[in-house]
Amino acid sequence: MSILANRDTRAVIIGGVAGVNAARRMAQFDFLINRPLTVEAFVYPPEEGQQKEIYRGGELNNVTVYASLQKALDENPLINTALIYIGASRAYQSAKEALDSNGIKLVTMITEGVPEKDAKRLRKYALEKGKIFNGPSSIGIMSAGECRLGVIGGEYKNLKLCNLYRPGSFGVITKSGGLSNEAMWLCAQNGNGITSAVAIGGDSYPGTDFVTYLQMFENDPETKAVVIVGEVGGTLEEEAAEWLGAEKRRIKVIAAIGGTCQDVLPQGMKFGHAGAKEGKKGLGSARSKINALREAGAYVPDTFGGLSKAIKQVYQELQATGIISPEPEIDEKLLPELPPSVQEIMKQGEVIVEPLIRTTISDDRGEEPRYVGYAASELCEKGYGIEDVIALLWNKKLPSKEESEIIKRIIMISADHGPAVSGAFGAIIAACAGIDLPQAVSAGMTMIGPRFGGAVTNAGKYFKYGVKEYPNDIPGFLAWMKQNHGPVPGIGHRVKSLKNPDKRVKYLVEYVKNQTTLHTPCLDYALEVEKITTSKKDNLILNVDGTIGCILVDLDFPEFSLNGFFVLARTIGMIGHWIDQNNQNARLIRLYDYLINYAVKEEREVPEKK
Amino acid sequence: MAKILEGPAMKLFNKWGMPVPNYVVVMDPNRLEQLGEANKWLRESKLVVKAHEAIGGRFKLGLVKLGLNLEQAVEAANEMIGREIGTAVVRQVIIAEMLDHDEEYYLSIAGNRDGAELLLSNKGGVDIEDNWDTVKRLFIPLDETPSIERITEAALEAGFVGEIAERVAKITSRLILCFDNEDAQSIEINPLVIRKSDMRFAALDAVMNVDWDARFRHPDWDFKPVSEIGRPFTEAEQQIMEIDARIKGSVKLVEVPGGNIALLTAGGGASVFYSDAVVARGGSIANYAEYSGDPPDWAVEALTETICRLPDIKHIIVGGAIANFTDVKATFNGIINGFRESKSKGFLENVKIWVRRGGPNENQGLASMKKLQEEGFDIHVYDRSMPMTDIVDLAMNS
Repeated sequence: MSILANRDTRAVIIGGVAGVNAARRMAQFDFLINRPLTVEAFVYPPEEGQQKEIYRGGELNNVTVYASLQKALDENPLINTALIYIGASRAYQSAKEALDSNGIKLVTMITEGVPEKDAKRLRKYALEKGKIFNGPSSIGIMSAGECRLGVIGGEYKNLKLCNLYRPGSFGVITKSGGLSNEAMWLCAQNGNGITSAVAIGGDSYPGTDFVTYLQMFENDPETKAVVIVGEVGGTLEEEAAEWLGAEKRRIKVIAAIGGTCQDVLPQGMKFGHAGAKEGKKGLGSARSKINALREAGAYVPDTFGGLSKAIKQVYQELQATGIISPEPEIDEKLLPELPPSVQEIMKQGEVIVEPLIRTTISDDRGEEPRYVGYAASELCEKGYGIEDVIALLWNKKLPSKEESEIIKRIIMISADHGPAVSGAFGAIIAACAGIDLPQAVSAGMTMIGPRFGGAVTNAGKYFKYGVKEYPNDIPGFLAWMKQNHGPVPGIGHRVKSLKNPDKRVKYLVEYVKNQTTLHTPCLDYALEVEKITTSKKDNLILNVDGTIGCILVDLDFPEFSLNGFFVLARTIGMIGHWIDQNNQNARLIRLYDYLINYAVKEEREVPEKK
Repeated sequence: MAKILEGPAMKLFNKWGMPVPNYVVVMDPNRLEQLGEANKWLRESKLVVKAHEAIGGRFKLGLVKLGLNLEQAVEAANEMIGREIGTAVVRQVIIAEMLDHDEEYYLSIAGNRDGAELLLSNKGGVDIEDNWDTVKRLFIPLDETPSIERITEAALEAGFVGEIAERVAKITSRLILCFDNEDAQSIEINPLVIRKSDMRFAALDAVMNVDWDARFRHPDWDFKPVSEIGRPFTEAEQQIMEIDARIKGSVKLVEVPGGNIALLTAGGGASVFYSDAVVARGGSIANYAEYSGDPPDWAVEALTETICRLPDIKHIIVGGAIANFTDVKATFNGIINGFRESKSKGFLENVKIWVRRGGPNENQGLASMKKLQEEGFDIHVYDRSMPMTDIVDLAMNS
């Protein structure tokens, strides 16, 4: 048996992230004792309509967030308890609304820092309504083997250590949240555990008091003794003593009262809880509370450390008189273990997870990104440039000075080719239509393909094939190309020809061949091919795609990477065009009619649909 | 609980029509001279000068001077400002008009669980403690305002006569308004007087506590609460308060000069029991400290370093109950870093450290704490099976 919360308790949590975290802890307890989920709904207007993922063991539940308490109750009619986690400035209104709701009998406020007057009003209101308002600043309520409200009881392991999976014979009432957990542990260690534990909160004017719950425990036949943990300030402990002494009580009371040190400390010294403040003339002092409780027949040890002994003594007495008969213990090994997360089991090396992706180039799990093992900042410090980073990320090798200079020049030479070409023109049209940078640049980027800029990879690939398969047989290579592929990629230009050579090609070839020591078998082969193709047709020259492709193959870049150089280089240009158009506040482009040949049918009537 | 100084209290009284004497608060005595040029009352009235600080027993310390003219007031302000009282320094003085009066009355309101209690006496002033049995009490239920007739009745019973009783009732009803609307926890006016010059009431002294948790609904609260421990906060206490205001969870510190057992305890409830245990065993604490609500590790580290710097400590009690949600591993990391840092700065010589804790990630937290032994710390680590406050016994018997 229990008080306040049991297997029929169904809760709504009012509040945001702290409430969701509490719901997750509560679901762990639900799993431990195999009961349905306690939390059925959240109320938090900013997140209306969202679903919160709550695991009960391995079972995933989605709990809905409602904008209003009424909606939550309409859709979840079993709810009979409200937990308030919402901020102090809205806590009063939320709690009042909960107390006004028909189905809700118990409101527990976890929120801290609630104005005293608000707490006083809620206490009064709950009394008028015949309901329980527990808190503010309560850590929650625990009924062993039945229900957990709030994070009371702490982590999963502790729930087991404190025997909270099955009821015992001790009730617990504390002001402090941390000490409720400690007291539950003491009851498990020195007795047979608890029936229920309630934290009433350490504020000056909590909504309930020791007497409320002592009476409930008195009426709960399974509870044989109650541990109360009080402290200096207020008169709730004195009232508990009065209750205890007023008539013969079935339950035994064990108490610890904090704050005796106040006698020797600076006057008015403030303790942890707001309510821990001595009243005038000794009333409310720890000493007065201890004396009152002892006189009323409670067991009150001198220090908190003495509580263990007191509980053990009471437990032994209750056993000796047959009030508590020992019950067979549940073997803790039979209790379910919380399913661990994948990360946790992986740490222990007990599971193999096949990775979804694999990377061989970079890793940012440390303090800074590392490119193929090298820290980015160290590369900067040691004088490496962007061309070295490209080589690392695309080819996993640090190039020599000479090699990186070639890479740099390839990019510089390819960065832009004026506004008329497909890529730049695409980006400009998009810019003029008011499209933002990334989308406008990718409009230009979509143009890169077999007819524009996209021949670098294939050029490199086929010239490399030629070098390997037809080293001394260019006609053979050309015949093979014609039969298997078609025109040779990297050969031919729309406007340039032998007589009107492409300056970029000339420059690159001369630079690589005359000013570097790079071994260039692929480029040499392509130049031999050009000799033959230009003999057939003047404009079948080695174009810039072909040149770049061959040089990059000679630099040992993988085939897949080759188009990347054009894409990367031209991105610089396209971004430039986008910025340029925006700087000029360019207007939307529409083609003039005279630029279009309307080769269409004459105007005619639409026939009736058949 | 938040005690506020006289100046802000008087401002709130004014707001609710509770008459107060003319007053000014200054930090610079020269400013008082300038104010004198602007305000006739400063030139023409007898003045009282008081240190405007949370220092107890100001009268005995010479921090209250009565019956001065402006020139003498400037002189008194000059003497007071900058005076050091223990760890405190006087930075502000309040200068108020002295009111010529005969009778001194006592009027106070204090909150309780069901509302508030009004206390009235016509024998106020310094003798109120001796005349405590003449005080008439009137219960004011929550959210109710007693009628003027009802208060008049109480005033008559408290010894006020005739028209004065009625006028006291009217003043009292304004004070109740102030109490209710300003989320006050207690207001004490002693004395309340009738000034001879115009026969009007005035509150000569005010002690007021407001509910600091209610500040979200008081945009005009331009003051900060002051220390309630009879002295202003020390620099270390202020630093910890500043951290406390910034973080999730909380860290708290009160220094207790002369003690040799330092507390670095967790939780509002447990920390009190640790103080009790030290006192019960005849020891003396060097401080009261608490961290709770899963504060960030750096905040606990700062608290740790502050505690390690306390003079003449022999033991540090790193105590706590079994936490519900405070991560023991994370908060202990903060403490460990604080210990290391302090040791490297030469603190913790011959200091024994005693640890007892449970809660989320307790095993990892306790294990790393225990490892400090290898670094030469005199540290003793216990888990949940050690009764909570028994480490205090171990420390004191060592």
